[in-house]
Amino acid sequence: MCGVAALGSATPLSAELNVPIAARVVSFLQPGPAGTVAAAIVFEPGNAASEAEAAAIERAIGSGLAAGRSAIRARRVPVGAIGSLAGFRLAFVTTGLRPEHAGIAAAAARSSVLTISSDPACVQTARCVVGITSGPKTQIIVNRAAARAANIRFGSAFLMLIKEI
Amino acid sequence: MTVSTFATGLRAMLTAGAVLCPAVAGAQAVDYQALQETIGEPVTTSVTGKPQRASELPASAIIITREDIARSPARDVPGLLKTHAGIDVNRWTAGQSDVSVRGGVQTYNARLLVLVDGRQVYLDHYGMTDWNLLGVQLEEIQQIELVRGPANALFGFNAASGVVNIITRRVGQTPTVTATAELGNHDISRLAGSVTLPVTPAIGIRLAGVRAREDERRIPATLLRPAMVSDVASDQVSGDITGSFDGLETVLGGGHSTNRQAEYLPSQLLSNQRYRSDNVHASATRDTGWGGVTLGGYVNWLDVQYGVGATADATEPLGFKNRIIVTQASTLVRLGKTDTLRLGGEYRNNRLRSAYQFAERISYDVGSANAMLDLHPDEAISITAAARIDRLWLHQAGAIAQPSYDVASDFDRAFTRFSFNVALLVQTDARGQLRINGGRGYQLPSLVNYGIRLPIITPAPVPIFVAGSPRIDPVGVWSGEVGYARTIGGTQIEANAFVTKTDNAIASPGDGLQTELFLTPLPSLVARFTAIGDYTTYGTEVSASGAVGALTWRANYTWTHTDEQLASLTLPIPYALSPKSTTPVHKANLALGYDIGRLSLSGVARYTSSTRQFAFSSTPQLLLYRVDDAVALDARVGLRLTSALEVYVAGENLALADGAAVSPIPADRRVRAGVRLAL
Repeated sequence: MCGVAALGSATPLSAELNVPIAARVVSFLQPGPAGTVAAAIVFEPGNAASEAEAAAIERAIGSGLAAGRSAIRARRVPVGAIGSLAGFRLAFVTTGLRPEHAGIAAAAARSSVLTISSDPACVQTARCVVGITSGPKTQIIVNRAAARAANIRFGSAFLMLIKEI
Repeated sequence: MTVSTFATGLRAMLTAGAVLCPAVAGAQAVDYQALQETIGEPVTTSVTGKPQRASELPASAIIITREDIARSPARDVPGLLKTHAGIDVNRWTAGQSDVSVRGGVQTYNARLLVLVDGRQVYLDHYGMTDWNLLGVQLEEIQQIELVRGPANALFGFNAASGVVNIITRRVGQTPTVTATAELGNHDISRLAGSVTLPVTPAIGIRLAGVRAREDERRIPATLLRPAMVSDVASDQVSGDITGSFDGLETVLGGGHSTNRQAEYLPSQLLSNQRYRSDNVHASATRDTGWGGVTLGGYVNWLDVQYGVGATADATEPLGFKNRIIVTQASTLVRLGKTDTLRLGGEYRNNRLRSAYQFAERISYDVGSANAMLDLHPDEAISITAAARIDRLWLHQAGAIAQPSYDVASDFDRAFTRFSFNVALLVQTDARGQLRINGGRGYQLPSLVNYGIRLPIITPAPVPIFVAGSPRIDPVGVWSGEVGYARTIGGTQIEANAFVTKTDNAIASPGDGLQTELFLTPLPSLVARFTAIGDYTTYGTEVSASGAVGALTWRANYTWTHTDEQLASLTLPIPYALSPKSTTPVHKANLALGYDIGRLSLSGVARYTSSTRQFAFSSTPQLLLYRVDDAVALDARVGLRLTSALEVYVAGENLALADGAAVSPIPADRRVRAGVRLAL
């Protein structure tokens, strides 16, 4: 369970990231990913909420999680070492990292990395490309500006079904 | 003038129907399964042409998913549709079904457009759907989408009461095999299979086939029937190759289907038919940063014979050959972050060849343009408007049958029709949704309606012909609907009120032929397909669904009232069209499903109030026969032996209610057992 509520956000926050949905979102990238998709789990050592979500994401991915024609394989990247995300195609931004969002976004833009978070604030502030929230209906939010900054493009059918901001 | 119509040959007076000119919705690049798994609910393109969530549609729609199909007692598409609100399914014979949306029940229903992956399987020659000739089997269906109400602005002529779009499964990243073998009473046998095979990461192949047989129901001696009645037989094979190349999706495929069955024609004569259908189709969809472009086309060939083996001396059947060529292009453009524009164009050529029409070839060309705008001025409001213009050019060619009752120049005709749909969708709060929509659409007269010329054998001293008319106009349909949907806890509730007004409905000559007298070159009488009047259907539909633990449930009720200003129903009945008589006023359905361990149970109870249905008596005379109200019970029990293998027993009309088929021929009980493999 993420502890974002402790940060005092006015926005309702979701539980930990729905990784299977995140993997499906990856499959709608254009061009479609094939082979292994290297994913970074960006977390903050010592931040309990962040570490807990990182562990949950690791468990969900296991030794590899299918995403269309590709398989996601992930490893942890401490937020302090976020200077370069080179070699990654995808980054899961764990909760509790709001002060680091700007740096994460800059690194992701430099390396054309798709950032996904369960923290809506990261998407609403154009620091993350995709936000996934849970509730009565699965809500997927894509930030167009963040996507453009990282040179990320999704299939149009997918974009017509989600909320783009 | 009144003349009883019966003849040894039952020379099938091909009756009323109307052709439709659908437009493919395209969007074949949409991966319905992946999108459904991603957003948590079914996705459809059948309402506006753009992908939309099932919960956010600007029209009343039904989406039957693969999971629904797998656990249903039904064994064909009409069987799956019949348990939903606003839908009438008449099983006229063991093989012949008609699906009607919001009233207007009749044989050879011309008002419902039916597509498979956007390709028309509705048969244009007569304006009807042979549900045993779809060329698709349940095992390969991803989902079935039905839009209630006219959808002409997207699909063109003949989606006058709604549209059914059957979406097949895409080839995935791993090979799949599905196979079903079943046997039942009434000599039911069915063997079906489909295979999807990814040849490379970008190219996939899909193959499917089915062989199905069953006996015809027992036909009461009081009804007129051919000397020999066909049992039901259908065989189908289909295949396609799909390609996926960085945003470009391509499909190339084809199929072959045959079907033999006894049917009630629009004249209400019972006749044996033999159909053969072939098709080739291709499409390409390019996904872009601003939307997408789809190009596609297909050719359907139909060879149908009417009155097969109608008599012991095997009178020669009447043959018709129909070919349609359709090409389409459309583009979806995202306007900003929320709005969408769709533009489309279509050309089709439709040709019917037969010795039993005005000239050897009757045909038309249709050019169409359409546009759809989906706007979201506010997060809680969406406004959708769609419009379409169709221009039709009618032709005839080849030798003109003599004596002729029209002049060739009558077929040198063109007309234009404009159709539209508008809808307002308001999210009243987080769990409620109000929908208001309406539209104007058209049902096109079929090629038979235009050009048939069929001699019938009667005791009359002068020859009598049933003929079409090149002057007949499209049937206009106005519709309006107000709907409200709400989620209360885990229960989803939807209520709709609708009205549909049909102007100048076309009917086939029935009994007591109303004829024109021609004196040259020799005296003869001609009974024509003609527009006989108007009717209006009002109704309400209330549906609810939910789950309690492992028990899933779905219930609905439909009330339908019809006002009609059509031909007289006093004997002899001149035209077999009376939606007020043939459409049930009350319908209710309750469907339950329960999974316990490896056991899967499902059942459906269906109530249909009494109706009167047309049929010729053995006298022969066209009469309205009372069909009693009925509670039909269908059920299925499945046991999974492994994750891939299931054995099952399923039955329809288990309580043996005569009226369950809503046909003059009483329903019987059909039970079958089978094994299903899914790898």
